[in-house]
Amino acid sequence: MANRVAIQKTVRHVKPLISQNNQEARSRVFGLYKAWYRQIPYIVMDYDIPKSVEQCRAKLREKFEENRHVKDIRVIDALVIKGQQELKETVNIWKQKHHLMSQYFKETQEPKPKDFLSKFLAGQ
Amino acid sequence: MFSFRIIRSASAAITGNVVRRATSLKVDPSQKKSLSDFGKYVADCMPKYVQKVQISSGNELEILIAPEGVVPVLQFLKDHHNAQFAVVSDITAIDVPSRHYRFELIYNLLSLRYNSRIRVKTYTDELTPVDSCVEVFKGANWYEREIWDMYGVFFSNHPDLRRILTDYGFEGHPFRKDFPLSGYVEVRYDDEAKRVVVEPVELAQEFRKFDLESPWEQFPAHRSKPAAEDVAIDK
Amino acid sequence: MASAAAGALKRTTGLTGLAVVNNPHHRLTVLYEKIQRVLAKMPADASYRTSTETIVSERQAAVQAEKDPVALEARLGCGQCEELIVQAENELVLAKKMLQWKPWEPLVQQAPGSQWKWPI
Repeated sequence: MANRVAIQKTVRHVKPLISQNNQEARSRVFGLYKAWYRQIPYIVMDYDIPKSVEQCRAKLREKFEENRHVKDIRVIDALVIKGQQELKETVNIWKQKHHLMSQYFKETQEPKPKDFLSKFLAGQ
Repeated sequence: MFSFRIIRSASAAITGNVVRRATSLKVDPSQKKSLSDFGKYVADCMPKYVQKVQISSGNELEILIAPEGVVPVLQFLKDHHNAQFAVVSDITAIDVPSRHYRFELIYNLLSLRYNSRIRVKTYTDELTPVDSCVEVFKGANWYEREIWDMYGVFFSNHPDLRRILTDYGFEGHPFRKDFPLSGYVEVRYDDEAKRVVVEPVELAQEFRKFDLESPWEQFPAHRSKPAAEDVAIDK
Repeated sequence: MASAAAGALKRTTGLTGLAVVNNPHHRLTVLYEKIQRVLAKMPADASYRTSTETIVSERQAAVQAEKDPVALEARLGCGQCEELIVQAENELVLAKKMLQWKPWEPLVQQAPGSQWKWPI
């Protein structure tokens, strides 16, 4: 017990970005996910992108899963803030079609060669 | 007219009988005195926030404050009878990654009433929010958006914090010292996709061996005096 | 009589958005009294309080002594009466906020070691 108290005291006290505790940060993440999820049909319609609603939702899930390992509340908050800004940019049609397509569906990018032979063939 | 033809050495050149010294900033002692007095006055009125007062370049007053005091100190400088720094001429930041708080925020204010300028400095890091001063200065809005965009400093209570210079979908904060010179992505028009595509930057050769020497003074070389002199304040 | 004549003659302040005020003495007196009342709530040794009290009482004395707005402006040397009113309003708002911020307290946070060292 005493050990635990000592550990807690050495933890640096920092100013929270928005959320005070883990629970709050978690609910913010879910809020952001739901907001994106509900907007996707309109986004697909407005931007006329060659993707279906289902594909976009799978991509949304993938993007959130990418940051599943993040545990620091302030980092979560920072990501949520950026996600909200992106959502706003997307929903207000400040972006254009190519922003959406090249930011989320990176189809023209060739995957990096991984094994020896393909690296060799790629000239590396 | 005549002086243009003089070839100047580093410190002095002699033409005929006249010795010409290298031009240097002349410091007006009375102005410096009044500036340091005003710095002491600010520190005296707000001992809770002011950490340090200094004068740099001989005539630029700098108030170094704790990040909690951004709004109070700026409000004081704007509204107090003896200050009246009603114009925010610039807000900017610098990134020094070796410091504990890597970003330094700099507020440049101008008082038209007393024909005087002042600089307020504070510090923060990537994840520590700073109070927005838009409620004090309306003009701070876009400056803070710029700092958010370029450095990623989050301003809490900002009415409209979003990107201002970078393109939609741009990732990263370009003015950070760890942002590569060549960037992360490049943009081109793709004929097959019939749209602009963004791809990771591929350079045949990494930027290297460039001559980055500036013809101007490189600090800290050739600097005999410190960049700023402290003004003593009682604590 | 002089003040009424000056007030009648003055058509504009020459500053955008700043209207001419016909009763500057009254407005200023009220504002300075309000500021004094707010300042009275601060600790007596607070430097902000003492210095602001000095400024305000000096201006109060000037307002009482000079009945002519032009003479008042000349004596204070800090702009037209309308600008003096704006300055007093600002100071009043500031003083009220200062009551919450309590800037006379000791330093909240010392900067970490080499934070202000320059050049690094």
